[in-house]
Parts: sequence; structure tokens; C-alpha cells
Amino acid sequence: MKGCEEVSHLPSALLIKAIDEELPGGEAQEVESHLATCDSCRRRYQALRQVSGRIESAVAARQVELSSEQRTRLETELDARELAARAKPGASHVVRRLSWAVAIAAALAFLLLVAPQWRQSVKRTGSAAAAQPSAFEVDGESFVALPYSNPDLPLNTSHIVQMQVPVQSLADAGIVFEPISNEVAAQDRSVLADVLLGMDGRPVGIHVLASE
Amino acid sequence: MGNSVVGQADTLPLPSTTWKADYLQDTAVRRLVLEQYDRECVPLRRYLQFLGMDADSAQETVHEAFLKLHQHLLGGGDRANLRAWLYRVSHNLARNTQSAFRSSRTDSLPDVTVSGELASPAASIEQELLAEERNRLVRDAIGGLSAAQRDCLVLRAQGFKYREIAEVLNLSVSTVGENIQRGLEKVKELL
Repeated sequence: MKGCEEVSHLPSALLIKAIDEELPGGEAQEVESHLATCDSCRRRYQALRQVSGRIESAVAARQVELSSEQRTRLETELDARELAARAKPGASHVVRRLSWAVAIAAALAFLLLVAPQWRQSVKRTGSAAAAQPSAFEVDGESFVALPYSNPDLPLNTSHIVQMQVPVQSLADAGIVFEPISNEVAAQDRSVLADVLLGMDGRPVGIHVLASE
Repeated sequence: MGNSVVGQADTLPLPSTTWKADYLQDTAVRRLVLEQYDRECVPLRRYLQFLGMDADSAQETVHEAFLKLHQHLLGGGDRANLRAWLYRVSHNLARNTQSAFRSSRTDSLPDVTVSGELASPAASIEQELLAEERNRLVRDAIGGLSAAQRDCLVLRAQGFKYREIAEVLNLSVSTVGENIQRGLEKVKELL
């Protein structure tokens, strides 16, 4: 076996690349041949490999706690985003943003929890909302007005989102959905609808497209 | 109710004919995102935690990264090497939100219990403690590196090739090689 003084030693960069299999075939072969004859370089190679292995072990030992709730949460948000993504093509650049799915969900929650009190407040103050028409047209599409959102804010016609809306939510908002078919009248059903969002992010109007 | 409005279901327009095709495409994207999540969630969170993020922040960052992946795919984004894409986005999200992340030191890392995967069932408590101590020394050594050296070494430890590390960290491949070399030699000296 050759002594170290008889050969030029390999730089660490080359040894590390050899460990990482980042050398082209020819160079890798040269390194391998050198290591077979040079004790010093082989020891350095093995020491670097050992350190690499210890780093890998330390990284792999990092404990990560997972729960099924985290995956379920992601699935729920993906569902909401895909509902939003199936909106009209003209509105897709808006509805494909994460915030909209969340905004719609929040708005529907608002329907159930806050809207009744808000409506009473409107009546007392005699706001313009009280005079809001029961139906209006945007870009040739008819919408049934929803009894909340700030009517003083201008409409933004690009904020139209197609989504499934629970019939119960519509009923709670003061909109009685009475389709011809008895099947969709059940309160646990939902309807496909275009929802027009106001500038404040809350639904202004709804256009029911079809039952579930 | 007083302000009730009646909708006429029989006169309402039907959904667009493209709706079903869109639905199928979106469902395929959703499936792909969840497949990636099942595969990469743990190593991705491990990476972020190893770089100094706390567990909750790492979880939120990974969640956001997967939502961005969904958006990326729905928008027709490149599907080549989604793993590197996820790490790059997560790394950037973490860098933007975590001031400690910019630090070159990671000595604020919490202690880590050695995973059961690493120790055999028959391993003695002494062996586990020894392994834990060895890992702590490695973490401390890595904590003394520059951020770039640390990032490169941790990604390397997770099986990334230099080209992929360069993509994740927005560095040249030669810079990645230099960071790995200097980082590894420094850790070797400290151990």
C-alpha cells in the first residue's frame, strides 16, 4: 500500500461529493481507485461519512406529532377551495384565492349567528338596507338580495362564487326556497348557487342554479 | 319571515356543461395534494423544526404550503419535483414569518426525544440516552453553522441532491457544494 507522501491527497470537497454520489462516473471511479490505495484519504472519507450519518440520524430523530385532525382540516379547506375554483371563468382569478373560501364560510356562519340581530338594527335605524330590492341584476344574471352586507358599498361583479348553499342557511337568512320538486325542499339539502360577494366580503345576493 | 323571497327552481338556468370536467380536474389535483401531504408532511415539518421553528409554527407553515401547492396545481403550475417545490415554498414562508429563522444559530431548539423508530424495542434506556446525547451534540454543532450551511446540511440529510437543494434555497449548485463541505468539516471538528 502506498504511503500518503507518495500521492497527492484528495480534497475534502471531492470526498464529500463522492459520498453524496455527486461526481460524474469518471471522477467517481478515480476517487474510488485512490481510496483503495491511500490510507489517509480513506480514513478522512470514512470520518466524513460517519459525520454525515450522525447528522442524518439527528435530523430523523426530530419528533413530529401528527394528528388526523390536521389532515382533515387540510381536506376541508381543499374542498372549499375547489368549490370556489368552479366559479365562472371570469371570476376564477378571484375565487381561486384561499381567502375567498374562508370568507364565504365565515359569511354563511354570519348568516346563522348575527344576521337576525343585524336586521333588527337596520329596521331601527332606517338604513338604506331596508330599501334594498328583493332582486337585482348583475351582468345579466338575476340575484335574490340577501338581507345583510353593507348596501352602501359598490358591487364588484367579479366576486361571484359558485357553491353549494344549505337550504337551511337560506331559510335562516329570510329566503324561502320553494322549488317545484318536493325533494329539494328538505332543510338538510343544499342547492348549487352563484353567490355575489360585496366589497366587504359578505354575500349580497344569490342566484340558485340547481338543486343538489 | 317578513322579507322572504321565493326562488323559482323550475326556471333557473342549469350549471355550465364544463362544470363536471372542472370538477374531475379539481378532484385529481386534490388527490395529488393529499398524496404529497401523506408523503412529505412529517419530513417537511421535521426540516422546519430542525431549522428552529416551534412545532405549532412548523405545522401552520406546512399547512399553508400545501394550500399553496393546491393553488399552484389548479393554476396549471409545473408538476416536476413537487417535493423540492414544497420545501422551497415552506422555507420561504418560514423565513418570512420567523425572525429566529434568520439567525445562524439554532441553539434554541427544544430537546428531542429519540423516536422509537430509531431504537430497537430491546434497546436499553442507557442506549437511548446515549443516542439522545449524540443527537444533541450534532444539533448543537449544526447550531453553530451559518444559516446557509445549516440549511444545506439538513436538506442533504433528508436525501436531497445538490441540484434540488440549490432549487429549494435559490443558490447555485457550486455554492451548495461549498456550504456542505464547510458545514460538514465544521461539524466534524466540533463532534
